Amino acid sequence: MQTAEVAPAPVAVTSSRWEQWSDRVNPLVIKEIRQGLRTRVFWVCFGLMLMACTLLALLAYVQSQDARDFSRAGRDFFLAFFCCLSVVHFFVIPYTAYRSLAREREEETWVLLVLTGLGARRILRGKVSSFLVQAALYASAVGPFLLFSYYLNGISLPSVLVVLGLGGAWLVFLTLVSVCAATLADGRMGRALVHFMLLAVLVVALGQGVGISFMFGHSGDRVLRDDDFGLGLATALMVMLTHGWLLFETAVARLSLPTENYSRGPRLAWGAQWLLGLVGGGAVWWFAGRSHAVAEAFGVAGALQLGVVGLFVATDVDGQARPLRAATRPWSLLRPGAVRGFRLTVLLLVLWGAAWVVLQSQSGMVTYNAESMRMAMAALPLYGLLYLSGALLMGRLPRSNRAASPVAVRVLFALAVVLGSALPPLLALLVGVDADDPLINLLNPLVGTVNFGTQTSGGPKMTWGLLQFLMGVTFLAVFAADRVLVERERQAHQP
Amino acid sequence: MSLLEVKGLRRDYGALRAVDDVSFELEAGSILGFIGPNGAGKSTTLRILATLDVPTTGTVLLDGHSLVDAPDRARPLIGYMPDRYGTYDDVTVAEFLDFFARAYGLKGALRRQRVASVMEFTGLGPLADRLATSLSKGMRQRVALGRTLLHDPKLLLLDEPADGLDPRARIELRELLRALADQGKAVIISSHILTELAEICDTCAIIEQGRLLATGRVDDILRQGAGIAELELTVRLAVGAEGEAAWARAERLLLEQPKVARVTRDGNSLRVRVELASGAGTEAMDAAAAALLATLVSAGLPVCAFGTRERNLEDAFMTVTQGRLA
Repeated sequence: MQTAEVAPAPVAVTSSRWEQWSDRVNPLVIKEIRQGLRTRVFWVCFGLMLMACTLLALLAYVQSQDARDFSRAGRDFFLAFFCCLSVVHFFVIPYTAYRSLAREREEETWVLLVLTGLGARRILRGKVSSFLVQAALYASAVGPFLLFSYYLNGISLPSVLVVLGLGGAWLVFLTLVSVCAATLADGRMGRALVHFMLLAVLVVALGQGVGISFMFGHSGDRVLRDDDFGLGLATALMVMLTHGWLLFETAVARLSLPTENYSRGPRLAWGAQWLLGLVGGGAVWWFAGRSHAVAEAFGVAGALQLGVVGLFVATDVDGQARPLRAATRPWSLLRPGAVRGFRLTVLLLVLWGAAWVVLQSQSGMVTYNAESMRMAMAALPLYGLLYLSGALLMGRLPRSNRAASPVAVRVLFALAVVLGSALPPLLALLVGVDADDPLINLLNPLVGTVNFGTQTSGGPKMTWGLLQFLMGVTFLAVFAADRVLVERERQAHQP
Repeated sequence: MSLLEVKGLRRDYGALRAVDDVSFELEAGSILGFIGPNGAGKSTTLRILATLDVPTTGTVLLDGHSLVDAPDRARPLIGYMPDRYGTYDDVTVAEFLDFFARAYGLKGALRRQRVASVMEFTGLGPLADRLATSLSKGMRQRVALGRTLLHDPKLLLLDEPADGLDPRARIELRELLRALADQGKAVIISSHILTELAEICDTCAIIEQGRLLATGRVDDILRQGAGIAELELTVRLAVGAEGEAAWARAERLLLEQPKVARVTRDGNSLRVRVELASGAGTEAMDAAAAALLATLVSAGLPVCAFGTRERNLEDAFMTVTQGRLA
């Protein structure tokens, strides 16, 4: 048996230009494309798609020959070709990306990749890029048919570009969702659940993608001329872009080693999303004539989104790995650890609420419920913080670690919100007052917010005093949760 | 200075202590066998050494770099082979190694040369264009070992490398590992196949319930059972009820002897465990065996064969773990 020396020897061979280029490309891209082009899925999908497009093109040709007057069949055929591409782009590619990463984790090849020093971010970037390259290969097959449909008349070039542009963004977003989903569960049951949920999501997403393209295609230039269309399009693209980024960073964090600063990426993306939301929303508010409705919509929707993401950020594990501790300062909010995640959540939620309350108060035309809506906008982030702090206190205050895990605290939060929303109205009915009684429902996140936003004939249903009370209770809960998390981090860092 | 220094390693998972105060050292060019039953803490220790996990307390220095505080600097020095082969579908052996070489940052001609030398070393050259998943277990094991060697690590961590291999593949793996040690690489092998380890390893560490019970050169570990010997003797006795009575008499007679701790019957032979004072040498053991044989012969037992069974790593393991796994 051969046992030759395995140590490297000096190399004097020059590399070709192709090799130099390939050395600069992410290794994952080369490997995944090599692998992908050998799979049966690729060739079956490619063949079927090409066959369907050819048949449709033949049908279009026959129709155009039979047409007595000027043909306007381009729109329908464009949508038919786009449908063929959509099945691959909105279902096959994201699902294959999910399977690829999920198998990498199941077969434990992920560990081997991480140890090469590539890092989770480069590996995932390579994965996503390789699937987008495969998507481009599919698109290259359908491209000539789409061009052919344009020459059949019936659809304008801007409509074609808008549908293709949105389709591309949807493809990237769904691929990122799938990659993130592949990192979610560790156990067999969890993985199976995520698998089926993703399949359902992708079926719905395929329907949405095709439906929206049909809507655009059929409405034609009419929609494009609509003043609000550009605003809606920009908002949709921004939501997809920022959430796609956040999901990507979440996937990277989930796959990072414990010694890495895994929380920096997702928290940075979240912060950037917050800033973009504030600046973009502020711009929309300004250009919409300092509209109340815009301020209220952004204030409420943003607080809900921050609350949901904050739940994941604030329920990080306690403490951080030894290599990271030395350079961590009290304001290092991007570093791992529940205490810093919680503080970042508090900061972003409070600033968001305050900013939109101020903008709403500066809005142009005063509406009848402006004051009550302002109170609701202030109350919503407070409820989020109150229940988040409550869940953290319930999970991490006891000495036992049974309910201290991130998942357990999230479950506690969900339970607290459900019980906090359902029990006070029942209690109110038991004591013989209205189910939405302001005092009994003061700490109810659902009815409480609605009450704060309700305007009666005599003015707002709730008072500023009650809001201040809610503020005080929330402050105490946040303070207590912060102290508990600080203490737990201290214990976690003890040898 | 040792290549690897592990001091006071501890890993807690909540209330469970998976690794408890593990300390050992490893020189370059030596092979350490990590022995222990399933759940003893072998894989956790290996994962910490591979920088995939962080210890609760303790330090690990590899060539002067801390695996805990500066894992990025230590990682290029480590080659880790988990108990699963980790090959990809639809990728040939050459492509698989080329991909990992790229991942390790090897470029151009250096990469090609490195892949070629690893394929030559592991004997994978003729299989370069075969799909990795179509290979036998032994060959896939070689592909995995080849991947581990691409970046020329100083420390190799192999988790159950001989598991599931046929005898020929095991012998070949053993030769490969010996060759690597001769090149100056330190190798840690975790396994529960003890006979396998005794032939490969220079040193071994016995771990149970997270604690390191013994560590040192294999000879020293074997010597830990000094003072204990197992004698095997074959006697010819009649069959039937009369024979059973004779067997019982023989067993009773042996157990009455002062140094005999245990007697077990296996077909027509008896296995006798003789225990002397701790640290007793070979001469004392020989004298005890001779005295025992004389007693048996004078009692009229027809002894056909008599001999001492050689101690192996399995015996040492059972001695060190005090037979708790028996």
